[in-house]
Amino acid sequence: MTTATTTRPTGRGHSRVGRFLAENGALVGLVVLCVALFVATPDFLTGNNLLNIGVQASTIAVLAFGMTFVIVAGGIDLSVGSVAALAAMISAWSYASAGMPGWLSVVAGLATGALTGAVSGMAVAYGRLPSFIATLAMLSVARGLTLVVSDGRPIATASEVSFLGSTVLGVPVPILVLLVAGLVASLILNRTVVGREMYAVGGNVEAARLSGIRVRRVLVTVFTLSGLYAGLAGMLLAGRLTSAQPQAGAGYELDAIAAVVIGGASLAGGVGRVSGTLVGALILAVIRNGLNLMNVSSFWQQVVIGVVIAVAVGIDVLRRKNTRH
Amino acid sequence: MLRNVSRTGRLTATVALGTTLALTLAACNRDSGGTDGEGGDGGAADGASVTLSLSTLNNPFFVDVRDGAQSAADELGIELEVVDAQNDSTAEANQVANSVTGGAEGLIINPVDSDAAGAGIGPAVQADLPVVAVDRAVNGAEVDSLVSSDNVAGGKQAADALAAAIGEKGEVIVLQGVAGTSASRDRGEGFAEGIAAYPDIEVVATQTANFDRAEALDVATNLLQSHPDAVGVFAENDEMALGAVQALGDRAGDDVAVVGFDGTDDALAAVQEGTMVATIAQQPVELGKQAVEVMSQVLAGESVDAEIPVPVETVTSDNVADFVK
Amino acid sequence: MNPSTPDAPERPDGAPAPLLSLEGVTKTFGPVTVVEDVTVHVRPGRVQVLLGENGAGKSTLIKMMSGIYQPDGGRVVVDGEAVTLPDVRAAEALGIATIHQELNLVPSMTVAENISLGRMPRRGGLLDRKAMRDTARRALERIGLDVDPGHQVGELGVARQQLVEIAKALSLDARILVLDEPTAALTRTEIDQLFRVVRELREAGVAMVFISHHLDEIAEIGDSVSVLRDGRLVDEVPATTPEPELVRLMVGRDIADQFPRRREHDGPDDVLLDVRGLTRSGVLQDVTFQARAGEVVGVAGLVGAGRTELLRSIAGADPYDSGTVLVEGRPLRRKDVAGAIRAGVGHVPEDRKTQGLVLGATVAENLGYATLRSTARAGFVDRAGQRSRARTVSEQLRVRMRDVDQTVGDLSGGNQQKVVFGRWVLAGSRVLLLDEPTRGVDVGARVEIYEFVNSVTAAGGAVVMVSSDLPEVLGMSDRILVMSGGHLAGELDAAGATQDQVMSLAVRDVDRDAEDRAEGAES
Repeated sequence: MTTATTTRPTGRGHSRVGRFLAENGALVGLVVLCVALFVATPDFLTGNNLLNIGVQASTIAVLAFGMTFVIVAGGIDLSVGSVAALAAMISAWSYASAGMPGWLSVVAGLATGALTGAVSGMAVAYGRLPSFIATLAMLSVARGLTLVVSDGRPIATASEVSFLGSTVLGVPVPILVLLVAGLVASLILNRTVVGREMYAVGGNVEAARLSGIRVRRVLVTVFTLSGLYAGLAGMLLAGRLTSAQPQAGAGYELDAIAAVVIGGASLAGGVGRVSGTLVGALILAVIRNGLNLMNVSSFWQQVVIGVVIAVAVGIDVLRRKNTRH
Repeated sequence: MLRNVSRTGRLTATVALGTTLALTLAACNRDSGGTDGEGGDGGAADGASVTLSLSTLNNPFFVDVRDGAQSAADELGIELEVVDAQNDSTAEANQVANSVTGGAEGLIINPVDSDAAGAGIGPAVQADLPVVAVDRAVNGAEVDSLVSSDNVAGGKQAADALAAAIGEKGEVIVLQGVAGTSASRDRGEGFAEGIAAYPDIEVVATQTANFDRAEALDVATNLLQSHPDAVGVFAENDEMALGAVQALGDRAGDDVAVVGFDGTDDALAAVQEGTMVATIAQQPVELGKQAVEVMSQVLAGESVDAEIPVPVETVTSDNVADFVK
Repeated sequence: MNPSTPDAPERPDGAPAPLLSLEGVTKTFGPVTVVEDVTVHVRPGRVQVLLGENGAGKSTLIKMMSGIYQPDGGRVVVDGEAVTLPDVRAAEALGIATIHQELNLVPSMTVAENISLGRMPRRGGLLDRKAMRDTARRALERIGLDVDPGHQVGELGVARQQLVEIAKALSLDARILVLDEPTAALTRTEIDQLFRVVRELREAGVAMVFISHHLDEIAEIGDSVSVLRDGRLVDEVPATTPEPELVRLMVGRDIADQFPRRREHDGPDDVLLDVRGLTRSGVLQDVTFQARAGEVVGVAGLVGAGRTELLRSIAGADPYDSGTVLVEGRPLRRKDVAGAIRAGVGHVPEDRKTQGLVLGATVAENLGYATLRSTARAGFVDRAGQRSRARTVSEQLRVRMRDVDQTVGDLSGGNQQKVVFGRWVLAGSRVLLLDEPTRGVDVGARVEIYEFVNSVTAAGGAVVMVSSDLPEVLGMSDRILVMSGGHLAGELDAAGATQDQVMSLAVRDVDRDAEDRAEGAES
């Protein structure tokens, strides 16, 4: 996962390390956090626990990869948690009730995510709703449809879906999914035309339009991708639980947004990297894992997570301010 | 994004979307609420319109409460209007007020929060409507009857079941529900009291997983990392117990005993499979049924008990067959 | 100290003692010294002009006067006493007010509210609306601005907003007014209105500092000129100094010709752009013109005359109701920017910061936006190709930057503008639509842009240039179209045309109401 838009070092040897640190504040934070937890609890730095963290970060990370597209393009997607639940539920329902073969139920779940995303994208691009409103509506619609389909009860998933939650040759499948999804997202953002157009649209929508970029098409693509990634996250969630839960993913959109922002993206658009998002998602997972290991009271966990988000983003803002002039 | 949009266009789209949403939701409500009860055995309550206000339908337990209430209402010829507060006390208060205005003759309430409901049922009390609380008490207001299972006693029973399964010694882990809810408080309190009777059992970790299966999977994974010798898990509801079972994988049932609470379908199946040792079965269908029956008696002018306990039973592999429908 | 620096507060010609002086100030940022040992005196009833290219240190001096920066060396003297200005409030308390290029007004609030912002009169804990309106009315009267205090600021044109800001400053009892490029966004009539106010304030004894890139304005409004180059004071000369001498002082060499237009295309002069009957209700009325290979067509007119809208409609950025645009004989689809670009149209918009560039992205990215899709293979960006092309074109246009990976927002105005031009060089555009191409660009870079225009026409391209800078329109065009109220009011051959001819066409059959309406639509 490579860099995106920001200024690159000029190659003056002695400052390279400093620049790297300045540009990867979140990564530094993650390392510091890991060292602190290693000192605090010996259970932290074990191979098994690290795999656990990877697995636990996978759902939020995949949601956050999708969210990265949207935030880079200057929007926000509040519907991803609900869309993940809907995708998982449609997948489970199409297998259990509609009798689809297992592999097709996976496709159905992913398609559900992409479709709901496309609908949000159309509402933003052609209906001219602010993305906050369009996806807020979709949050409610998708959750409602999930309950309608499930009647409020969990539905067991196909074994093809459960495979996503299993372990192959000692490597948990969610981690593999996370890596592949991240690489694909990075490839799209950095190497494809539509990816670069996302940065342009998020950076200055008018300049993008006057340069001949078809802004609406970019927006629909962005939300469709976000929906597709939400669908994938839903399948991961269902796979790990071997069932689709009606209340799955509630509130995950906020974690996903937090991961993207901790990773250095700007909610104003035009800035953001997949690698940063991954680090952001890992930071959230590491904090939760570490606080569990240390048996910190649940009341305090929420306080700590809130403070970490504020500090991470605050440091980033300061750093940007200082690199000007 | 898309700052240059026409205001009217956006407004129209928003209104249209909002209206569509509202209509869709209304229609769904009607389908699931099912107000078309056939006239039953007559009696004073025949044809009476009663509102059942549920804290949430986003949880199989309350879906069962609704089903039990609905079937009893059909039998007694009561017209049951079901409303879902989506775990929001304010929404619940509004719905109560609306149903009083709408001409309901009785209110069965399952409070989101016991304290908030005291004020929330105000409109019903002022209109002299009979009020029956189900599953959770209403604090600070007089109700005609409370139909509930005894969560504290259930917690004790869970402690006994877990102790029996692990030979009355070893380390155990507790998964808490949403912090601050009465169910979590009472079950936790009962369990703590019960487990104190076994001097060789040590509770090594107590962490919240917010009554959520996916969260319990992560939290249990983390806790098992730091307490590899744990032999028992008590979860304050079945959803979390199933999450813990998922975290344990093959070890569930063999090396580690898991006890849940609620007696949901999935949990009963797990008890049958042997992955869970026991669940404390509340009888949600029975709760709903009895609430409607009590309401019917109040409407007929009969006097009723202020508290109607619905039995809580420990379900193990010995008696699980009796509970599976 | 520089021998040409006037040390004495009293000058031989009997000029009054300065209200505000910067004495030998120096300012450094890290290793870079942006201002070194500069002395400037601002006297009551005088307009002190600061002249210099972008980066010469003018903005830094202004910021030291207004309390945004503090000098690292030298001192700030007000009323003969050395002071420190830790922040803007301290400067304001001493009667120093600055009107920045980016106006400090809240567009959604009324004129009266903006004038009283931060010190709204209260009565009994509530806002005293009457007192607020009275304050506003007095302030507006003082500069003779006829605007309803209840009007929303955002609905006023830029010129009036600027005057509202001056009124606001004066209502704060400002004695020293710092005007940072106030004329950059104004048309000639608006500039006249502003200068009228400036002259009145000068009569009233207000001390003023004035920054402008337009040399002709200096003689018109200034009293004395401090010329800066590379952070140093080169000389202080009377405002009556001839323009070529000012340019020489400013750039340190002679610039032979400010407007080096050369028409040296020798191929056939085919019609490249053919606009027929372009009409958009309330904005454009039946505009018809052609631009031929090798030709620069200037478009003059007041702000709101429809010049910008004309270019945007041709470029596909704005819709139109009827009419046709043909490029090399082929009609363009309405409101299709990508189609226009494919047909060979390049559009340099009015405001490069909000419309031309993605400021947070790199030079290479910005150069490549129009060609991202056409050079891609299977949806993947040709990264190496885009970068090497970006390098070539930025060398060709002499964009001064660290490398093509530098963030475009860090470049100076002129270099930013060159990046917008470069995008269309890469796209191979033959028809260039330029909207105020040299606004906020200093003399040196400006001449480079003119040379680029020459090279486009020499290669057989056509250029349509909208500009409010009349000397530029006259100096760089081959033909001049004058717009007024959405239609073409006339056409002049640039060779014999004068500013007066252009202006009389521009204001023909424009009544005041129509101008106001157009202004509202513009902003």
